[in-house]
Amino acid sequence: MMPSSLFAAFALMTAAAVMAVLWPLARRRPLKDEKAADLAVYRDQLAELERDQAAGRLPAAQAEAARVEVSRRMLATADAAPEPAQDPVRARSRRRLAAGLALVGVPLAAIGLYVMLGTPGLPGAPLAARLAAPPDRTDVAILVRKVEDHLAANPSDGQGYEILAPVYLRLGRVDDAVRAYAQAIRYLGDSAERRASLGEALVVQADGIVTKDAVAAFQAALAQDPTSPRARYFLGLAAEQDGRKDEAAAIWTKLVQDSPPNAPWLGLVRTALGRIGAPVPPPPSAAGLSGSVLRRDAAPGTPPLAAPSLAAPSLATPPGPNAQDVEAAAQLDAAGRAQMIQGMVDRLQQRLDADPKDLDGWLRLVRARTVLGERDKAVAALAAARAAFADDASAQARLGALANELKIGPEAGN
Amino acid sequence: MIAEIGQYALILALALALVQMVVPAWGAAKGDPVLMGVAAPVALAMLIFVGGAFACLVALYVTSDFSVANVVENSHSQMPLVYKITSTWGNHEGSMLLWALVLAVFGALVALFGGNLPDRLKANVLAVQASIATAFLLFILLTSNPFLRVLSPPGEGRDLNPVLQDPGLAIHPPLLYLGYVGLSIAFAFAIAALIEGRIDAAWARWVRPWTLTAWIFLTLGIAMGSYWAYYELGWGGWWFWDPVENASLMPWLAATALLHSAVVMEKRDALKVWTILLAILAFSLSLIGTFLVRSGVLTSVHAFATDPLRGVFILAILVVFIGGSLALFALRAGELRQGGLFAPISREGALVFNNLFLTAATASVFVGTLYPLALEALTGDKITVGPPFFNLTFGGLMLPLVFAMPFGPLLAWKRGDLLGVAQRLMLAAGFAVVAAVVTAAATAAVSEERGPVLAPVAIGLAVFIIAGALTDIAERAGIGRVSARLAVRRLTGLPRSTFGTAIAHLGVGICLLGIVSESAWSLEKIAAVRIGETVTIGTRDLTLARVENRAGPNFTSRVAVFEIREGGISQGTVEAAKRQFAARQMATTESGIRTFGFSQLYVSIGEEHADGALSMRATWKPFVTLIWLGAVVMALGGLLSLADRRLRVGAPKPARMRRGALPAAAE
Amino acid sequence: MTRKGRRLILIGSALTVLALAAGLILTALNDTIVFFRSPSEIAEHKVAPGARLRLGGLVEAGSVAKQGTAVRFTVTDGNAQVPVTYTGILPDLFREGQGVVAEGVVQTDGSFKADTVLAKHDERYMPREVADALKKQGHWKEGEPGGPPAPAPVRSTVQ
Repeated sequence: MMPSSLFAAFALMTAAAVMAVLWPLARRRPLKDEKAADLAVYRDQLAELERDQAAGRLPAAQAEAARVEVSRRMLATADAAPEPAQDPVRARSRRRLAAGLALVGVPLAAIGLYVMLGTPGLPGAPLAARLAAPPDRTDVAILVRKVEDHLAANPSDGQGYEILAPVYLRLGRVDDAVRAYAQAIRYLGDSAERRASLGEALVVQADGIVTKDAVAAFQAALAQDPTSPRARYFLGLAAEQDGRKDEAAAIWTKLVQDSPPNAPWLGLVRTALGRIGAPVPPPPSAAGLSGSVLRRDAAPGTPPLAAPSLAAPSLATPPGPNAQDVEAAAQLDAAGRAQMIQGMVDRLQQRLDADPKDLDGWLRLVRARTVLGERDKAVAALAAARAAFADDASAQARLGALANELKIGPEAGN
Repeated sequence: MIAEIGQYALILALALALVQMVVPAWGAAKGDPVLMGVAAPVALAMLIFVGGAFACLVALYVTSDFSVANVVENSHSQMPLVYKITSTWGNHEGSMLLWALVLAVFGALVALFGGNLPDRLKANVLAVQASIATAFLLFILLTSNPFLRVLSPPGEGRDLNPVLQDPGLAIHPPLLYLGYVGLSIAFAFAIAALIEGRIDAAWARWVRPWTLTAWIFLTLGIAMGSYWAYYELGWGGWWFWDPVENASLMPWLAATALLHSAVVMEKRDALKVWTILLAILAFSLSLIGTFLVRSGVLTSVHAFATDPLRGVFILAILVVFIGGSLALFALRAGELRQGGLFAPISREGALVFNNLFLTAATASVFVGTLYPLALEALTGDKITVGPPFFNLTFGGLMLPLVFAMPFGPLLAWKRGDLLGVAQRLMLAAGFAVVAAVVTAAATAAVSEERGPVLAPVAIGLAVFIIAGALTDIAERAGIGRVSARLAVRRLTGLPRSTFGTAIAHLGVGICLLGIVSESAWSLEKIAAVRIGETVTIGTRDLTLARVENRAGPNFTSRVAVFEIREGGISQGTVEAAKRQFAARQMATTESGIRTFGFSQLYVSIGEEHADGALSMRATWKPFVTLIWLGAVVMALGGLLSLADRRLRVGAPKPARMRRGALPAAAE
Repeated sequence: MTRKGRRLILIGSALTVLALAAGLILTALNDTIVFFRSPSEIAEHKVAPGARLRLGGLVEAGSVAKQGTAVRFTVTDGNAQVPVTYTGILPDLFREGQGVVAEGVVQTDGSFKADTVLAKHDERYMPREVADALKKQGHWKEGEPGGPPAPAPVRSTVQ
């Protein structure tokens, strides 16, 4: 589908190009005397000799010799055969052919090539307009940029990093993701969740190798939450990569046994167990045991275990998809990425709607909504949070402070 | 929207180029004035469309439209506006578009100002031009399209390479391209002459302003590039004999030869075949230069294969244009009438001498540049042909040429008197000897190690050229032979092209002065200094005053401030810096330069050590600015020559009016 | 002088200049070209000490030792290592584990004394322009298939 204004511009341009050819063809134009141009030059040379001699710059003998030479050239030019006359009938048919070429050939060639090369359906995207536009779910890049700009102004806002980090990972900006997770830990404090995420990003950065740094991150995660399935999975992977297969088998077997039967990572872990030739234990049917684990790991901000699936295959001979592939995939699926970032925030919203007694969650949500430019929703979330913590003075104070900072509360006096 | 309009404009330009290639040439073959008349308006329309496409690309860069891949790759929204604009041509695709734009500009100039040309010649010239445009526009659209889009635009671009974020490099490529592409006009004239099988003295006069224009821009472009490398790359070299530089030097040498041989053709109707060949060679070298740089074959022979389509396209263009034109030359050159006779010792002889040495020098640069590529492609051996090779071959060939330079303009046409000329150059030679002796004595007095023995001789040679150029003017005005008043009248009455020649030659002398003193007497100190510590270079003391951080628009810099003292008296400060560009995680070195007279103090810094010391390099470069000043003077000479009214013969009215005032010319 | 005689003089002088140029070029090619060698080649070929050449490889991690403006580092290609000494300012992108080209002379003890060090400019992304602009000298071979366009070294040298 081609925007009509663009189409109109193309039509005008084509018409102008065609006219540039047709206009001179329509004019009558006599052939200039071919000799005249040559003679003009020689006359000028003679005049110059005259001047040089008059000014005393040229001895008479040299001037005379030169004059003879130029005159000889003039004679030779004058002697040249005259132009044959034009045959008017032939001339007319030639011109008609040329006009036809311009009228048909130029537009045809232009349109043909354009169809091959152009992307008429894609609108332009000047940065200023994109930044000013209302938040658009398809333009993830600009959402990311807005968060980045926000962070450039408020470099100690840990929430911003926490929001960005998984998005970076999805976009293939692995180095940025690692940095963002580290910053999130620095400003928001340590948690099993963040440590595991950092470790995972480190693994992706190292093309699937569980490096020393990554192991340290996963161990820190386990220290805070011994059940963290991601940390356990990757520590198993580290053991496998170190050649300690028994240890890997032990870790993974335990992980499968601890997991609920419908845990999303089970397939992955089973595959890993199969790869090292260990028996795959059936999951316990009692789901109640580790339901909490599942919930925690499915929390917003966690990539739905996409990273392990990136990392794991690189152990086998064919290397797994690398950062470029992720980026390529991301390029293909802009809408999907937008949905992802938006989806994360929406999931947070749903969770808080169901269980409103999570002050940190609300704070994060309000901030995320603001950063994404969804001001109304941010205000609504703020109001909901205030209602949920109506009788908690310290919570009210924190919410008020946030509202002030983001200039969204009634205190900011819009 | 803008991107699509730009792309469509470029496509229309291609369609028009095809028309301009076919219709006027057909008209010229049939003697049809109307078909020939299509050339000029279409050439103008092509300029509008290519210019429009270029304007669109600039607009995309200025608005940071990251839906265009080219903008994403080479721009950053935080860059200052001027670099947003210049990054338009700071990349392969954009610079090829600039190339095409310059080509269109020259075509349109011929269309506008070629009123004095015979119809047929003009039509053929524009048709040949259009064939070049066709090839380049196709190349751009099919292999290097700057308007390709990305489906999901990123939020920030990858930034222009930091070393290109510099005013010097912003204007270097356009200048160079004006030179490269300007030679396409001389080429088109040569091919048109071969097609018609007719060439005469008038042809040389028509071609001359175009060649001269191209030569002026090439001269300035090369000088600009050299100065940029000097201050931006951080170690103070001004010429590296690197293939990219050689690629611009070769067309310059050929164009210089062409300028000189065209004079013989214009005045004496001689050297016609040779001049045609030079016109073809000069543009062929431009093409080779463009593609050496563009194809990536220089970085590695293997890089050529990373984009096979581009590589094959480039080869095809080279084969078609260079091979085709040389084949046409071989076919038609025999039919061209030979012209005037001259003795070996004559102005013509001197110009032939010039041509022989310039072409030989071009050949030596050509071999030095391409030999490593050929060897690597054939045997896999990787070698470097560096400055020693070029200093020996190019230097060896240029020496006799510059020595002969003062003689040429003083020799008479047809048959010259070498002895008489030598006598007239006695004074200049005297100056040269004095300069050489004084230089030798001075260097011996200043330092015990004297410097290179040849340097004073070379200084003498440079002075000889400068004095010789002045002698030329003085001789023509008759200074010393006629009364002072008459001499002044004659001096003011001299044609501007005479001044142009003398000034251009003067520029060569000035440039040589700079080259010799910079390479013979530069002083260098490398040291690690802490704050408050002093390094002495020559007569000056440099004290590291402080090191501080500063923020730029898209970079942060670490600046070292040095205080300069000479004999205890402060001469201000010089600042050298390292810049860190976040978007590309790249650092650049910003050298600190202070100019004293024609000499420069050049300071650059390296890394900071753990103990607080800072690596620094300080260089004293005596008379280094003369190198570029000389080039600018050369270009000025060219400009003066271009302003000579004789070059505008035929069409311009002032010429006709003035002619009326003269006694009736013989007809 | 006859027309023919003059033409002979012209052709004769042209040939003389041509011969002069050819002679100069051949002499210079014999004496001044510099070969590019990898650390393994230096180890295998037993390059004669005093030969001027270019050494290319990676700066071995942990091998860089600086003392004032004097630097020592080791260049490796995975098979062999060559210790290099250099005095001067290193290019901006000289880093451990990164590519480097050093020009200089092999010493009698098998080490390499460099007077010029070129570093690969940007490991991530390198447009052709930089290659042009940065006065590339070495023939850097990009290892990764389908990787970014070949990078250019930045020059740093002692004159």
